[in-house]
Amino acid sequence: MRSVISALSAAAALAFAMTSVPTSALSDNPAKSITIYNAQHASLAKEWAAAFTKDTGIEVVLRNGNDSEMGNQIIAEGKNSPADVFLTENSPAMALVDAAGLFAPVDADTLAQVPDEYRPEDGRWVGIAARSTVFAYDKTKLAAGQLPKSLLDLADATWKGRWAASPSGADFQAIVSALLELKGEEATRAWLKAMKENVKVYRGNSTAMKAVNAGQVDGAVIYHYYYYGDQGKTGENSKNVAMHYFKNQDPGAFVSISGGGVLASSKNPKEAQTFLKWVTGKGGQDILKTGTSYEYAVGKGAESNPALVPLKDLQAPKVEASNLNSKKVTDLMTEVGLL
Amino acid sequence: MSFLQVTGLSKSYGAVAALDGIDLSVPPVSRTAIVGPSGCGKTTLLRLIAGFEVPDAGRITLNGERLVDEALAMPAHQRGIGVVMQDGALFPHLSVADNIGFGLPRNEPDRARHIADLAYTVGLDAAILRRRPHQLSGGQQQRVALARAMARRPSLMLLDEPFSALDMGLRASMREAVAELLESAGITTILVTHDQAEALSFADQVAVMRDGRFSQVGTPRDLYFHPSDTMVAQFLGDAILLPARLSRGMADSPIGQVTVESAERRDSARIMLRPEQIVLEPVSAAEATASAAMPAFAYGEVKKSEFAGSYCTVSLRLLNTPDAPAAAIGATPLVLRRPSVEELALGSFVRIRIVGKAHVIA
Amino acid sequence: MSLARSVPLASTAAPIRQRQLLPARSGMVIAAVVVSLLSLLPLGFVVWSTVDTGWVTASALIFRPRVGDLLANSLLLILLAVPISTLLALALAWLTVRSDLPGGRLWAWLLVAPLAVPAFVQSYAWVSLVPSLHGLLGGVLVSVLAYFPFLYLPIFATLRRLDPALEDSAASLGLGPWKIFLRVTLPQLRLAILGGGLLVGLHLLSEYGLYAMIRFDTFTTAIVDQFQSTFDGPAGTMLAVVLVACCLGLLGLENVARGDERYARVGTGAPRLAAPVRLGGLALPCLLLPALTVLLALGVPFLTIGRWLAAGGTKVLDMGEILPALWQTLSLALAGGLLTLAAALPIAWLAVRGRGALPRLLESCGYVVGSLPSVVVALAVVSVTARLLFPLYQTLFTILAAYAIMFLPRAIIGLRASLAQVPVELEHAAASLGKSPARALWATTVRLAAPGAAAGMTLASLGILNELTATQMLAPNGTRTLAMGFWSYSSELDYAAAAPYALIMIVISLPLTWLLFLQSRRLADR
Repeated sequence: MRSVISALSAAAALAFAMTSVPTSALSDNPAKSITIYNAQHASLAKEWAAAFTKDTGIEVVLRNGNDSEMGNQIIAEGKNSPADVFLTENSPAMALVDAAGLFAPVDADTLAQVPDEYRPEDGRWVGIAARSTVFAYDKTKLAAGQLPKSLLDLADATWKGRWAASPSGADFQAIVSALLELKGEEATRAWLKAMKENVKVYRGNSTAMKAVNAGQVDGAVIYHYYYYGDQGKTGENSKNVAMHYFKNQDPGAFVSISGGGVLASSKNPKEAQTFLKWVTGKGGQDILKTGTSYEYAVGKGAESNPALVPLKDLQAPKVEASNLNSKKVTDLMTEVGLL
Repeated sequence: MSFLQVTGLSKSYGAVAALDGIDLSVPPVSRTAIVGPSGCGKTTLLRLIAGFEVPDAGRITLNGERLVDEALAMPAHQRGIGVVMQDGALFPHLSVADNIGFGLPRNEPDRARHIADLAYTVGLDAAILRRRPHQLSGGQQQRVALARAMARRPSLMLLDEPFSALDMGLRASMREAVAELLESAGITTILVTHDQAEALSFADQVAVMRDGRFSQVGTPRDLYFHPSDTMVAQFLGDAILLPARLSRGMADSPIGQVTVESAERRDSARIMLRPEQIVLEPVSAAEATASAAMPAFAYGEVKKSEFAGSYCTVSLRLLNTPDAPAAAIGATPLVLRRPSVEELALGSFVRIRIVGKAHVIA
Repeated sequence: MSLARSVPLASTAAPIRQRQLLPARSGMVIAAVVVSLLSLLPLGFVVWSTVDTGWVTASALIFRPRVGDLLANSLLLILLAVPISTLLALALAWLTVRSDLPGGRLWAWLLVAPLAVPAFVQSYAWVSLVPSLHGLLGGVLVSVLAYFPFLYLPIFATLRRLDPALEDSAASLGLGPWKIFLRVTLPQLRLAILGGGLLVGLHLLSEYGLYAMIRFDTFTTAIVDQFQSTFDGPAGTMLAVVLVACCLGLLGLENVARGDERYARVGTGAPRLAAPVRLGGLALPCLLLPALTVLLALGVPFLTIGRWLAAGGTKVLDMGEILPALWQTLSLALAGGLLTLAAALPIAWLAVRGRGALPRLLESCGYVVGSLPSVVVALAVVSVTARLLFPLYQTLFTILAAYAIMFLPRAIIGLRASLAQVPVELEHAAASLGKSPARALWATTVRLAAPGAAAGMTLASLGILNELTATQMLAPNGTRTLAMGFWSYSSELDYAAAAPYALIMIVISLPLTWLLFLQSRRLADR
């Protein structure tokens, strides 16, 4: 009997106590700990965080999510945000938070580690990695001549039901934002409408690639590293898959920049800046080369994994990262019924 | 001629023999009661007749038609036997009218009137036809169950303790009404009960059951006054069991001489009297002591008297114990229930007179 | 607004005022009202955000083809999965209760055990076994396997309790076995079927992981997509409005179908046990049904997990990652279960002991809110705390409170049933022996209701253990539960690394479903 009462009161007391500890309640380390809102792949962020803690002694608490989700979340949280650092897979969410004025300027020596083309002009966030759009296709079905010349070709009726994408993912939305930036709203809306008719929707790029491999579709618009990642493991999901790079400054050759920024509201700005500097420096960039992420390194002088097609050979279109508009993209995609 | 014939019926549940070779013959348009303590197998017998279960051995025929034998067992729904269960077993999801009409074809013309007629027959008000079973009293529920079972005009009706859930007062009137109703409808009835008064008053034929067998089958009067053994005697009502010595149609007992049917001569026998057969006549103390030697009557002194409204429980100390076998009972007082108007005062004396014949048990 | 203080009231309010006539009662009423008001927060949020969005935008977001598609998907899913589950559950319940099926007791438990497999793990197992499985048919298959026990359990319990005298009566009235089943047995199983069907329907509407993995779009997957694209954007919220309408519609439908029925057994005394039907030569073919069901619903998950564990070997067993996840999951489940119980206590107590409209109103509040998908509750709690109650944002308390809102009905049902078993006279007797009202309450009713309370808490904890969507949206920074770990690996197609998480979730849940099974049998045998 008494144990029931005390258990109930304990629960109540516990609940009480937790309200007074607003953040990172389950693993709080008041000194030298930063909270990262991470929209990058959880596995890559985990590798980074572990190596960073090892190098600097600063603990890292990760909250994983998606680009736009976390971008919007940071905006909703405003100056109260518990986040110190925000990492994304793609640029639009960085642009979103930047436009809301929530980023602190990135330290100059960090900026100096990254070439101009991989960071916005205002210097409030910085590229930390890059990835290229590809058309992953079933090499047992399609010959070189049957491949689409441009991403825009996939709107043709001939491609109906033959290609896959993950429209709910930030990756694909970033590709659409590039299309929007390059071709304008009308062309993008028209392309999305056609896509709604043609595409087979999967949830997640790896799932889309797996569908290509299994012969469920002829090809999929994804990023390059899903293929290399799978090849690096068992190759089980990419045996029949080959990569087609659109090149030629096509919207489909878009190279998306993963960004990192320090929140202006951060209560640990020094440690946060240290992280950003570390991740764009040798420590962080080497993990891109040697690890299992297969994303491109963007640091000055940093090398990417030798298995990849070199970044400079991709003939990517020039897109100003800070102009990418994620809100417009999700609105358009909601409008045509892809979301 | 027998309408329902049960022969050698046996049924076991695991190692327990619920029925052990039952034979029963029920004449047409009669009422038979099967009475026994709980667990004696009476409900099992009913369930076998109804067809809810299949016997291990034995035969049942109804009106010459085989219901069950070694080769076949007709399923319950083809037997056309009506059953009213202990709690009525009304369908809780149906209205009273739908309960009554449950066994009627759904497209029967005049269905509603038929149902209303049945309700009327069993004495139900038409207003309750739209109610749900749980809104009815126990008596009403049993009437609905009866009407429901009668709807299909069964030739045989099985009643499984249908009155046991009712109040004492309601029980008797309900029993009477049901008996009358079934008889006028020409339906042969078997009633299962553990209440001996109910069995005796209801039936033309009573079967007393114990441990899966019939102890005795006969008319109520026969069973009551001529039970085959002490168990039957005691089960059917209060019994005064006395040691006695028989000779020439008379028995000498601790409470005096009494006529018996048997002409045999035996030194040691047991006789049974029903308390109603004993008459107590007040006498003076002097007469009682003086007449103690008289062999024809026994005298007693009232040692205890408990008033209980309509009756008094009286304990008598016997004054004269004429014979040796009486030693067995001599110390035990004779306990009788008397109408309280007799007013037998504590310490007063009575002469014990016996009406009718005593029954020799063994 | 003190969200923090309101809930503990439930356990401390009773002894406050000694001079009032019924201090326990007034304390309970206050606590119950506060809990109910808080639990209405998600509904309030949905209404408020509709108003806030404005009719023009709202209608544009609600009346669009995509919503029509999702509506059609959800309806088709319900119209297929619920009837199929019902038929399956009916057949299985009949076989395990009424026939002499070999191993009946074992089957009965095995058929409840799939509840221990989270729906998204079930889906994971099937997708990795049959990669092409997707869309409506895939969704229906996996849904049936994941959720049929919600129907099996009440049908099983009711069938055991049914008075066979009714069926005997029907036979004596000339009905054959099939007609008896249709006209007598089935109508009495109606409430069990409706209740279980509602539960399955609500799960179909609110599940995310299962359908995300099997590539079948429902409102819930679409809301999560929107959340992942826009956080708490209006398009997602408007989808939530439609989803809430669907859930309430389902609830209303069940209410109408249930009507004002009371299937109390008429009469007294214990019903005799129905004699099992002999299957004879049909026993083997009949055995196929439960065997196949268990194989598909339990065998496939275990097989798949086993296969991935073997394939992954020891390198996926990262204990440094798994153990903290296990610890966090258990802590959340335990604390959340206790909070849910504390919140349910005043409502359940009033529902049993109280009179008049208020207790009924409060209780139905709990049920209505409990029918809301966790994604909606989470969306509401995130939005409200982020905008209005920032100190509570991303706190452990907030996620526990959200769990309490989601699983309130589970705790109320368990508590209510066992509170109803305790006659109020016992409290009076304790009072006459000199105990204060609060002490009397604790010493009698609460003590006797403890098993029901434990069962209710167990059910809430089981729900929390396997919760994915809301946990992801609400978890304090650094939280990584088993479900989150599983999901993050399996959505990157790292099925091998996900396997240990799936296995642990199932292993923890199995004993809890055993409790659930025992409880339903006890209730039925009463």
